[in-house]
Amino acid sequence: MKLLKIAASALMLSTAATAVNAAQFEFWYGNTGSVETAIQAACDAFNASQEEHTANCIGQGGYEAGMQKAIAAYRSGKHPVLIQFFDAGTLDLMLSDAVVPVQEIMPEVNWGDYLTGARSYYETSKGELFSQPYNGSTLIFYANMEQLGEVGVKDVPATYEEMVEVARKLKEAGHECPVTTDAHPWRVLEQFSARHGAPIASNNNGYGGLDAEYIFNEGPVADHLNNLAQWREEGLLKLNQDTKAGKYNVAFNQGECAMMEASTGSYRSAFEALGDKVEIAMAPMYEGVERRNTLIGGASLWVMKGHEGEKLEAAKAFLNYLRQDDVQIEFTRMTGYMPVTQSALTKLKDSGKAEMKEFATAEMGVNSLNQPGDANSRGLRLGFYVQFRDIFMEGTQKAFNGGQTMQAALDAAKARGDALLRRFEQTYRGVELP
Amino acid sequence: MSNRFYRNKWLPLWLASPQLVVLFFFFYLPVFLAFFWSFHLERPFGGGSQFVGWQNFERVLSDPEFWTSLWRTLTYMVVASSTSIICALVLALAADRGIRMSPLARNVLIWPKAVAAASIGVIFLFIFNPFMGILAPLNEMFPGFWNPRINPVHTWIMIYIANIWSAIPFTFIILLTGLQSIPDTLHKAAAIDGAGPWRRLFDIQLPLLTPQLFIVVVLEIADSLSGSFALIDTMSQGGPGGATNLLVYKIYVDGFKAYDLSGAATQTAMLMIVVAAVTAFQYLVVEKRVKYER
Repeated sequence: MKLLKIAASALMLSTAATAVNAAQFEFWYGNTGSVETAIQAACDAFNASQEEHTANCIGQGGYEAGMQKAIAAYRSGKHPVLIQFFDAGTLDLMLSDAVVPVQEIMPEVNWGDYLTGARSYYETSKGELFSQPYNGSTLIFYANMEQLGEVGVKDVPATYEEMVEVARKLKEAGHECPVTTDAHPWRVLEQFSARHGAPIASNNNGYGGLDAEYIFNEGPVADHLNNLAQWREEGLLKLNQDTKAGKYNVAFNQGECAMMEASTGSYRSAFEALGDKVEIAMAPMYEGVERRNTLIGGASLWVMKGHEGEKLEAAKAFLNYLRQDDVQIEFTRMTGYMPVTQSALTKLKDSGKAEMKEFATAEMGVNSLNQPGDANSRGLRLGFYVQFRDIFMEGTQKAFNGGQTMQAALDAAKARGDALLRRFEQTYRGVELP
Repeated sequence: MSNRFYRNKWLPLWLASPQLVVLFFFFYLPVFLAFFWSFHLERPFGGGSQFVGWQNFERVLSDPEFWTSLWRTLTYMVVASSTSIICALVLALAADRGIRMSPLARNVLIWPKAVAAASIGVIFLFIFNPFMGILAPLNEMFPGFWNPRINPVHTWIMIYIANIWSAIPFTFIILLTGLQSIPDTLHKAAAIDGAGPWRRLFDIQLPLLTPQLFIVVVLEIADSLSGSFALIDTMSQGGPGGATNLLVYKIYVDGFKAYDLSGAATQTAMLMIVVAAVTAFQYLVVEKRVKYER
């Protein structure tokens, strides 16, 4: 009898729960650490701000893991309404037929308010935003001014030539790790070629059609990677595996290394660890090259197909909430990611907060995104690009470790990358680039 | 009565059905899908599967990465299983004698079996950390002496040691049981005839241990394929520069990280054929030399 009572009350509870669940929707994200804290804070604030909808925000432990789970979930029809995907998966998603463009389902929003650099990466050829930019980052340069000051350097280097000069001074003064990087393609290939106006692939990095081919293996990128290898030989640069910390940004935060190229998204942890010692600047250029814009990194929010009614309305309300100026500014404060709309940026500047060290990345990053652009600095439209990043990483790491020359590594990466692009073209045969 | 019981045609099938259902869903169905996908070009999110015949196989077979990875996998299979079996055999021979504390030692040696391969990977990664691990002092004296993050040879040494450590317990138990079932009288008789320990090892113990040796070889070879995944994933992620990219790990990366479902399925099909061939060789050729009768 007692058991029956418990069962009955459990049943009632569960039906009551479904009644409340009517406007509940799932949002999957990939970030961890301080960014995850900020995302959860935004979810809680959204849920507290109104009673109609409930956002159920679920961390997936990484961008790639999130994408894997989304693929499996979509194939079995259990996918969330809203999902955060990272920059490199953009084309795979655009052609997947698993998402609906945000601009199409929310035509009333003033999408023109989004920063140009954010728009060009995530919009269709007709200028329609496919996803809502969320945690926008870009590449900037970090320096530990205490360590630079010890060798009499007062300014963050603006060019690679200056950076090497500072690095040599540091090395002569006995510093073991003047510069650090992980040589990830996001840093040494994508952001590098965008701001140096060099193409990664033909057809304007794929914007012109799926029959693009990789062409980064000759020209500035190849020179830059050869330089990186040479600087490492000289003891000026350390890769992840050479550092005690095992990871470049941790090595910088712990004071093991004096300078690094990293995402604005790394700022929060660097600032927490080093405080006023950390100074940032736009990523260095080679002398004599005109500076172009850097690309937006991080991730954006995609609405997945197959949801309608209240769930979709709830997701839209959440997207509208996240777009609010104050919400963006709070997110910037907690993470170092940049505001992605003009109005949020203006509000941040007007409030005078932009001068504060906590918000240092906002203006710097946006400034870097807003440099004059060209056809090669809009973004990437290259299929299976996530896999290409792995191929690039594998080949160049082998070259850094002495297994092959850098040129051979780049040529091999180009050949394997082209094979990927051809397979992508065949997989999506008959599909138009949106 | 009993005759009628056994004559029922459907009963054995009914009794086996739970096992068959599990096998169907978790083995035959995935295998079937792998072969199906290997003849199709599959879009990651579904919705556009097209039949391409042998094209995936042509692509995989003409990819040097696949062959390097397959060769690496076969090498790993042989080296990993032989090193772990030899180590376990030495330990089992040592524990088989009636020396003091050997019951305790036998127990202690079994413990690592309870540790998951992924945990072993994390632990050994820390032990072999070039800056904080046990070899760090040597690195201080001779910079660059040990760095498994850069030097593929070091990475392999680290992985093999972790593998041996994780594989020993189970192999050890089987071999020890085999050794203990060899009648004492044989040892005594041989000793009386003047045979030393080495002679007794080669003429009595090893020949009588062949059934157990055979089963551990079969199990270890199969395990070296699946168990290597957790070690590679936690310790090297296929690096440095792809040097430890075994086929099982490559399939995972291609399928899940690179959304190449067709390519991953094709390589799975190839791997299954290789494993089937190796196992068939073991049972059809090697097992003939095993003496089960005593």
